[in-house]
Amino acid sequence: MDDIIILEKINKFYGDEVVFQVLFDIHLYIKRGKFTTIVGPSGSGKSTLLNIIGLLESPTSGKVFLDGQDVSSLNKDELAACRNEKIGFIFQFHYLLPEFTAIENILIPYWIGKGRPPGEIVDRALHLMDRIGIKKFSGKYPNQLSGGQQQRVAIARALINKPKIIFADEPTGNLDSKTSNLVMELLKEIVDEQKTSLVMVTHDPNIAAGADRVVEIVDGRINSDSLHSN
Amino acid sequence: MRLNSYEFMIARRFLVNGRSQTVLIILGIAIGVAVQVFLISLMDGLQRNLIQRTIGSSPHVTIAPPLSSPQPLGIGGGAIDDYQRPLKTEESEILSWQRYSDYLSGIEEITVAAPMINGNGYIEKGRSSFPVLIKGVTLPEADVIYKFNKNTVSGDPRPGGNNVLIGRASSDKSGLKVGDTFYLRNQTGAGDYFSIKGIFDLGSSAANNMVVMSLDRAQNFLDITGISSIEIQVHDVFAADGLAESLRGSLSQVKVESWQERNQELLSGLQAQDTSSAMIQFFVLLSITLGIASVLAIIAIQKSRQLGILKAMGTNDKSAARIFIIQGFSMGFFGALLGILLGLGMTSLFMFGTKSSGGPTYELKITLTNILLPAVLAVLSASVAALVPARRAAGLNPMEVIRNG
Ligand SMILES: Nc1ncnc2c1ncn2[C@@H]1O[C@H](COP(=O)(O)OP(=O)(O)O)[C@@H](O)[C@H]1O
Ligand SMILES: [Mg+2]
Repeated sequence: MDDIIILEKINKFYGDEVVFQVLFDIHLYIKRGKFTTIVGPSGSGKSTLLNIIGLLESPTSGKVFLDGQDVSSLNKDELAACRNEKIGFIFQFHYLLPEFTAIENILIPYWIGKGRPPGEIVDRALHLMDRIGIKKFSGKYPNQLSGGQQQRVAIARALINKPKIIFADEPTGNLDSKTSNLVMELLKEIVDEQKTSLVMVTHDPNIAAGADRVVEIVDGRINSDSLHSN
Repeated sequence: MRLNSYEFMIARRFLVNGRSQTVLIILGIAIGVAVQVFLISLMDGLQRNLIQRTIGSSPHVTIAPPLSSPQPLGIGGGAIDDYQRPLKTEESEILSWQRYSDYLSGIEEITVAAPMINGNGYIEKGRSSFPVLIKGVTLPEADVIYKFNKNTVSGDPRPGGNNVLIGRASSDKSGLKVGDTFYLRNQTGAGDYFSIKGIFDLGSSAANNMVVMSLDRAQNFLDITGISSIEIQVHDVFAADGLAESLRGSLSQVKVESWQERNQELLSGLQAQDTSSAMIQFFVLLSITLGIASVLAIIAIQKSRQLGILKAMGTNDKSAARIFIIQGFSMGFFGALLGILLGLGMTSLFMFGTKSSGGPTYELKITLTNILLPAVLAVLSASVAALVPARRAAGLNPMEVIRNG
């Protein structure tokens, strides 16, 4: 089977007293190695969907299969380990740790999963930084970097563990269009190179236009789903 | 449970990053530990000092015949009634004392076992008479206990024949000086002339009311064939009751009594002191614990964002908790280390101060336990305090952070 993600009948409710349904019976199959974008109006449930696929939140009902595995059987620790091993996250806000330098931030996911990174992993981090043009900032702290530079560090961090899939939630939402384009180019190149799947929530029609597939969510339901052939 | 090195790395970086908070907590712990080290050493030193003063110039363990009473009753009126005099048996005197002395001198813990004659008598001067305790001693054994050579304030510290030493209290009351001759009566009314060779001050009024002569002269004067008691000093004064207990097992014919048994009041006073210093220690620890808990709780809130990110990237709840336990432990460890140094500094400063001001020099007792106990307790309380933020860290949902920026 060539689907990295399978969602079956996902429903998500929020609230205890006033119950509020955010996602309705979502079915979604995402192919390995492809670039999928999720678009839709604000508040339609895109982030919720992404966080459920990313194992950060659990659905109220329905099943999530990641890389062939039914994740509903995993406990909290196993979910954490699975996120560490198989998933890379890039958020709208970069979420780097301010106490650590750029290269340390990039290495943290490795360190969490496997302990102190050996030389070859440090080399890999440096290579990634070189590849996206931030190698010279490796010893700098996040607050010494611009927004675009920080987001590039976050991209390298998402890639360090060679994840099967990367989830990005409006990764360029805070960047100017020039920087945004650069970051997108780099991300797409590396993801292509490494045959990593990429699922991205975006508002940017240009980015959506460049994706393999665009899934549109409106009011918690899939409104349209279009494949691009390029 | 696997400790991952990144937990240490992150804990360390959080601590280094929160510089002033970290330094403040470590200082707080250090002061707490230092106060305890100083307090315990001071208490210990004062107690030892007090005990030394109380029992330094007195026996640690006394061996007496079973029928002896600490204060032999004088027979009133001076009339001698031979029928009422106790028989000379092992019940009222230690006749075979040489055997006991030999046995006792073979025990490692004992520094000296001195045979003693004890009796009551009166110094007669003009129309007045002054009751005294008559003590017959052998030298140098008695000197180990009473240190006459050191405690003699005038005259010569060695009694012999009819030359005797008298205590300062007796000398003051009777007005007798070194070189004076006086009439001494025993409790049967018989008496003899003695001359004063030296006057001693042993620090306690009971001891300063003694007339000290040689053992054989006292035997003769008090009409005693054996001896009245064997007085023992030991290396470790606190081991005296243990030794007394074991002597009771091996010497069934005699009464064995330790200084602890004779000084119950002093001991219960010391006990009360121990209790109050334990309470002070407890409250110092409690305030350390609360202080660390509150500051670590603040740090945990400040670091929520970082924890959320770490959890999104795969840090599990236990790891998140351990990051804070490690922080608490480290602060406790370094605080305790600094506290030990501070405490030792305070202690030596105090000793130096009392010495140079000419006051009583207390030997403050710095022992390994006095140092390690507060240090270990501080590290433990710091780690326990860290449980508060650790629980918070474990329970944090990364979504809270990621949703709210
Ligand atoms: N933790 C939550 N509790 C209650 N409601 C939530 C929570 N998270 C998101 N929502 C609501 O769910 C809806 C979908 O949110 P979200 O998935 O962030 O939308 P989008 O990313 O498409 O803008 C919104 O109305 C939002 O207010
Ligand atoms: Mg969103």
